[in-house]
Amino acid sequence: MRKITVIALVVLALLIQSGVNADYPSTYVAADHDPFVIDQVMIDRGLGQGAFRGWVKVENGLIAAVEREDVPRPKGIRQINAEDQWLTPGIIDVHSHLGDYPSPSYRAHSDGNEATSPVTAEVWAEHSVWPQDPQFPLALAGGVTTLQILPGSANLFGGRSVVLKNVWARTVQGMKFPGAPYGLKMACGENPKRVYGSKSRSPSTRMGNFAGYRKAWIDAQEYQKKWRAYEKSLSDYEVWEAASDGQDYKTRPSPPKRDLKMETLVGVLDGEILVHNHCYRADEMAQIIDLSREFGYQVTAFHHAVEAYKIGDLLAANKTCSAMWADWWQFKLESFDGIKENVAMVEAAGACAIVHSDSATGIQRLNQEAAKALAAGQRLGLAMSPSTALTWITRNAAQALGVLSRTGTIEVGKMADLVLWSAQPLSVYARADSVFIDGVLQWDRKTGVGPVTDFELGQREEIF
Amino acid sequence: MGHRICLIVMMLMSVGVCAQDQLLKNATLVSGAKGQGVIRDVHIVAGRIAAIGEDLKVDRGTDVLDLAGALVTPGFIDSATTIGLAEVSGLGISQDAEVSDVNLAAGFQVALALNDASLLIPVASNDGITRGVIVPQPGDSNFAGQSALVRFQREGTFAVTGALAQHVYLRERDRRYGGGSRASVLASVLHALEESARFDQRREDYDRRKVRAFDLPAADLIALSAVRQGKVPLVAHVDRAADIEQLIQAMAAYPKIRLVLAGAAEAWKVADKLAERDIPVLINVMDNLPGSFDRLGARLDQAALLDAAGIRFAFMSESPFTEFRSLSQAAGVAVAYGLPWDKALAAITRWPAEIWGLEGLGAIAVGSIADLVVWSGDPLEVVSTPTAVMIDGAWISLSTRQGLLAERYRDLLKLK
Repeated sequence: MRKITVIALVVLALLIQSGVNADYPSTYVAADHDPFVIDQVMIDRGLGQGAFRGWVKVENGLIAAVEREDVPRPKGIRQINAEDQWLTPGIIDVHSHLGDYPSPSYRAHSDGNEATSPVTAEVWAEHSVWPQDPQFPLALAGGVTTLQILPGSANLFGGRSVVLKNVWARTVQGMKFPGAPYGLKMACGENPKRVYGSKSRSPSTRMGNFAGYRKAWIDAQEYQKKWRAYEKSLSDYEVWEAASDGQDYKTRPSPPKRDLKMETLVGVLDGEILVHNHCYRADEMAQIIDLSREFGYQVTAFHHAVEAYKIGDLLAANKTCSAMWADWWQFKLESFDGIKENVAMVEAAGACAIVHSDSATGIQRLNQEAAKALAAGQRLGLAMSPSTALTWITRNAAQALGVLSRTGTIEVGKMADLVLWSAQPLSVYARADSVFIDGVLQWDRKTGVGPVTDFELGQREEIF
Repeated sequence: MGHRICLIVMMLMSVGVCAQDQLLKNATLVSGAKGQGVIRDVHIVAGRIAAIGEDLKVDRGTDVLDLAGALVTPGFIDSATTIGLAEVSGLGISQDAEVSDVNLAAGFQVALALNDASLLIPVASNDGITRGVIVPQPGDSNFAGQSALVRFQREGTFAVTGALAQHVYLRERDRRYGGGSRASVLASVLHALEESARFDQRREDYDRRKVRAFDLPAADLIALSAVRQGKVPLVAHVDRAADIEQLIQAMAAYPKIRLVLAGAAEAWKVADKLAERDIPVLINVMDNLPGSFDRLGARLDQAALLDAAGIRFAFMSESPFTEFRSLSQAAGVAVAYGLPWDKALAAITRWPAEIWGLEGLGAIAVGSIADLVVWSGDPLEVVSTPTAVMIDGAWISLSTRQGLLAERYRDLLKLK
């Protein structure tokens, strides 16, 4: 009970601090667990500083201690001997459509793209997520503990994303990462212009895309002004009301009508909602950075960013992350210059590099995707370590989601989102043996612990 | 002929592309289940392996390369890909994998549409894949046409075999081509086979225009005749266990047909029937999503299950049209999910050669075709890479446009 209160307070504090809209709030509360120590394990904390043999203490859902092997363990609590295993932070996928493009894949519940207007900033991905999607447990078996569900890329502004904990729940609110900021999905390039161009609507060109972004941001600035004016007049009114002796009369100002589309865009301008921008080509990413300067917001991450390697310096200077595949290319013209060295070259340029999946199969092995990207960089002569590669699917991903202070690395005080691997985690042979979320064992290969979604019940429960 | 040509090409390419006699010294060859190696010399003459042994002696004119113990495997064989049929798969205009709105289905040959200068070819050989089966996709018929065997090099012949196998698609989404129900699809497949039998019986009458037209064009009937007579395998792309059973039952009337299943998400559920009839399966290892009601049984350990049942199988990437871009990664994942290492290697070398009937490929043995890959490490590990690739006894260029892009921007941004 005490823990629930603590979590509730933390959540409340975060909500107040970040000003995040508290509608449709998270109802996720981690179950209680006994404290335990994972002992004699090779630990890579996700900080890019290499691995060491040591132990980790977990208590009340949090990491309570991280020590090298020569430091004495606390006595009287359960010890998990993990001599042959590796421990890493839980894997984080910043680009997923689980739940909004579930399996089985039928139009009846494919709810990822509101492709009816190029600006649909008013839609929220969480309102599409089907929590019984059997793809969630498959991702969990791959060590994924946190994931961002995004709307698709048909629109210039696709809508709000949601960050989830990869836990089985009856509702999406029961999966929502408490206090995580929202994201806004934007899209460059071929997709919006194809979708609307084919309907003889704007945008049908890349210049049409940009005109569409700018018009929407101008509208958002107007909306922001209208609300600021209201807030000013309301505060003036309240000052007057407090001092009023009842002799004269003023009308209490009434608020402007809410516009959900504009609320999301203003959330970005106010720095509360993070921009996740689907964009392949280097020249377009540079244009988007100019767009963000024109309207005074920050692009948190470019997604797919197939040509990020061409502008690593610009991305580093702008402090924008790139979330990339290891080896996808050639499936559309704007991916034609995709290279396996992309991720490593972004890292080498000093910019924030992330490996993402955008795939219900790829999310099951992000560790291997990071390994492929590392190997390609090493072959090109770039100096980087497996520990650096691990940051691409842990620390850097948490940073792009705005949850790095809570998860993404193994450090005291953070959520105990942890994966025990059967081997060095970048090996193709490594499997997630155990996955903990907030200290709770959610997946255990040897004992068969793992969620079975309602969909799987009675027809697929034996399959992991 | 070619010593002078060979020399000129080598000067141009800065890499040998001619089937010069070669002696590879100190190659580690795989033997045994865990990939333990034995160190041997391999002598290659006229594109084939002439001798394998310790301390082989050769004539003075032979190129000698000391591999210093590097691991050498047979070139990998991808049992389904579309390389050469589309430069940019998402651009409909550059896509030659399927036909529709013409009177052609089983008779369609992808070999006639292949681009032997495709930029994707060296991308495959950079993954250690030396041969691939280029498969047609269904356009508006369940029969999609004939696959080709290619070798992944841009010099010389690309398509080695133009009519390797016939492909029929019987997945949930393919029902629309054959009348809307699985029952009508199967009936139309059987009808086509019966037509081809009648066509064979009345071929002379047909040629003399003495017989009424058949329901299918002659090109389709001729192609299906080869299937019926077992001259080429019939590859059925099918997922659901019940559909696999119906297909096996229907094919019983045609004992010569060499049935191969592809995809086959639920093959493990009918493993005993497949084993009984020795029906091999082409597996896309990482494709484990229950993406339709046909595929509720999809699972990552399918290869291990089929292996335990004694079924032959080979791995396919189905790239570049899908998300599964690495054949060796797929083999590694199969190992992680219970398949012995040597069998995972066999599923991309020896077994596809057997299933497709490719004489001399898939093995390193005296008399084999010299398709060889020299590896930086365990070939199934995602961090390993080929350091040299030989096809038909000639080292091939591993240079790609992608590599040039990486070098250009590494140097431009002074990355270290």
